[in-house]
Amino acid sequence: MSKAIEVKDLTKVYHGGVRAVNGISFDVEEGEIFGFLGPNGAGKSTTIKVLIGLLNPTAGDLHINGVDIRRHPAEIKRATGYAAQETAIDDRLTGQENITLQGHFYHLSRQEIQTRSAEVLNLFDLYSRRNDLTETYSGGMLKRLDIAEALIHRPRILFLDEPTLGLDVQTRQVIWGYIERLRRQQGMTIFLTTHYMEEADALCDRVAIIDHGEIKALDAPAALKAGLGGDLIRVQLAGLDGSAESVVAGIRTIPQVHEVESDGNGRYRIIVREDGEKVIPKLFSICNDVGVRIETVSLKTPTLDDVYLHFTGRQIREAEESQETHVRSRFARRRARR
Amino acid sequence: MTTLLSDTWFVAQRELIKFFRGKIRVVITLIQPVIWLGLMGNMMRGLTNNPMAAQAFGTGNYLTFMTPGIILMTVLFGGVFGGVSIVWDRRIGYLEKLLAAPIHRGAIPFGKTLAMMIQGAIQVIAIMVIATLMGVRFASGFGGILYILFLAMLFSGILSSLTLSLAASIKTMETLMAIVNLLTLPLMFTSNALFPTSVMPSWLAAIARINPVTYAVGPIRELTISGWHWDKILPGTLVVFGLVVVFMLGSQVVFGHATTE
Repeated sequence: MSKAIEVKDLTKVYHGGVRAVNGISFDVEEGEIFGFLGPNGAGKSTTIKVLIGLLNPTAGDLHINGVDIRRHPAEIKRATGYAAQETAIDDRLTGQENITLQGHFYHLSRQEIQTRSAEVLNLFDLYSRRNDLTETYSGGMLKRLDIAEALIHRPRILFLDEPTLGLDVQTRQVIWGYIERLRRQQGMTIFLTTHYMEEADALCDRVAIIDHGEIKALDAPAALKAGLGGDLIRVQLAGLDGSAESVVAGIRTIPQVHEVESDGNGRYRIIVREDGEKVIPKLFSICNDVGVRIETVSLKTPTLDDVYLHFTGRQIREAEESQETHVRSRFARRRARR
Repeated sequence: MTTLLSDTWFVAQRELIKFFRGKIRVVITLIQPVIWLGLMGNMMRGLTNNPMAAQAFGTGNYLTFMTPGIILMTVLFGGVFGGVSIVWDRRIGYLEKLLAAPIHRGAIPFGKTLAMMIQGAIQVIAIMVIATLMGVRFASGFGGILYILFLAMLFSGILSSLTLSLAASIKTMETLMAIVNLLTLPLMFTSNALFPTSVMPSWLAAIARINPVTYAVGPIRELTISGWHWDKILPGTLVVFGLVVVFMLGSQVVFGHATTE
């Protein structure tokens, strides 16, 4: 596979002196869904804006489809689609008018705009509402229209900045479905940013955890989670009466088990490399054989939350409800009321 | 170059679709001159009954004197919305969307200005039709009417470019509107749009003589009241033309600078 995006030592310092991105490097494969996971202000949007030519990088080597983005900005703009964090739809225009204008801004012919807008509006199930003013659209429809617009010039790489920010859970999953379909049907490369763990987990082939402008970890979600040491099983045993050692020895014979710790009161922490749910029945049969009762059992699989916590030392939730998000959602509500 | 032109047109088209969609806005656009001409014209009619005053006004019909002033006032107050639309676009993220597209960057301020000029032209046509119905006769004929329309559009372009440049650094609607009001009202009332400079106190007349509104009103009033006297038409035309070039290029520079980071 060839590289869709190559970033080497990207640094972006704003005029005010804020160092938003600090020497990050990563590659995105063609046809991959690649995610940037991190709180607001981590440098996610800045990275996207540099890659599509909205911002000039302070330093770094950046290539898209092998083309140097600084040398051929116009070519990069035609090869990439971009849906910003804020859905930039003109609510005094219809869906069709919005997308037609977008087509003109990408210098498509009238004929091309006609066929392609019908195509993408159908793809996002908006065709029947195309002649309605977008002020009558729901938040999810606006986001779908925004992504549809980003596809009008048939880009090979799609950049989505927080594609589901502020949407409810169902709508979010609907958007995920569309994103997955784009990759499956068209082999599109998709670069997205998010601060939702579930989103990165559900969609992304690989995830980069970014904090304070630096990449802290980069791998497939499953590998990142596995890197934390696997699943954790807690059991409370009763009726041990001297058979504790044989129980622990028995547990250790289960191939997936990595470590067993006891607190001496019949409580055990068992760290399992993988498939924690398959280990639990085996625990029951071992305890049964020696006449030991299992009173409680729990299984905890690591989430990207744990991964994030591990690499940044803080939980993403703290940073999530920042002032910025708050102001933006208030503004969106005000717009919705008009 | 052709992309600049076509991109400019599509930026303008967006504004025009919205202009015509706002039915109330279009109606108000048409009612406004009726109110101005009807109300002000009747209030001031007594003035021109006085032969001395009639001489100062250059016509025995105050409406004829005032129509050029109303034309200028309309494009003055309308043109400022060029900047307002950019502030709005920045807020909803549309500006970023435009900047992310491979359009000629200069097409954004040019397109906004073109839209303001076309809207201004529509309003000016409405004023001239209504004025004609109220008895105003344009001395320079149909050619003069087209020339007036042309000058009014250019003046609208000056105001639009000016507010677009301001909007590049002013990011809130409230501040921009405050500055716009601070600018437009004095510009209007220190000009000869509603009263001839000859009846003004000398200090006001001095200000009026350097006010660009006065320069724009000059040729329009000449074409309305007396006809094709190039010695009176040309100076104002040149000033308006010079200002529109300077302000439009200025908006390009300021806008280009403000959108590069």
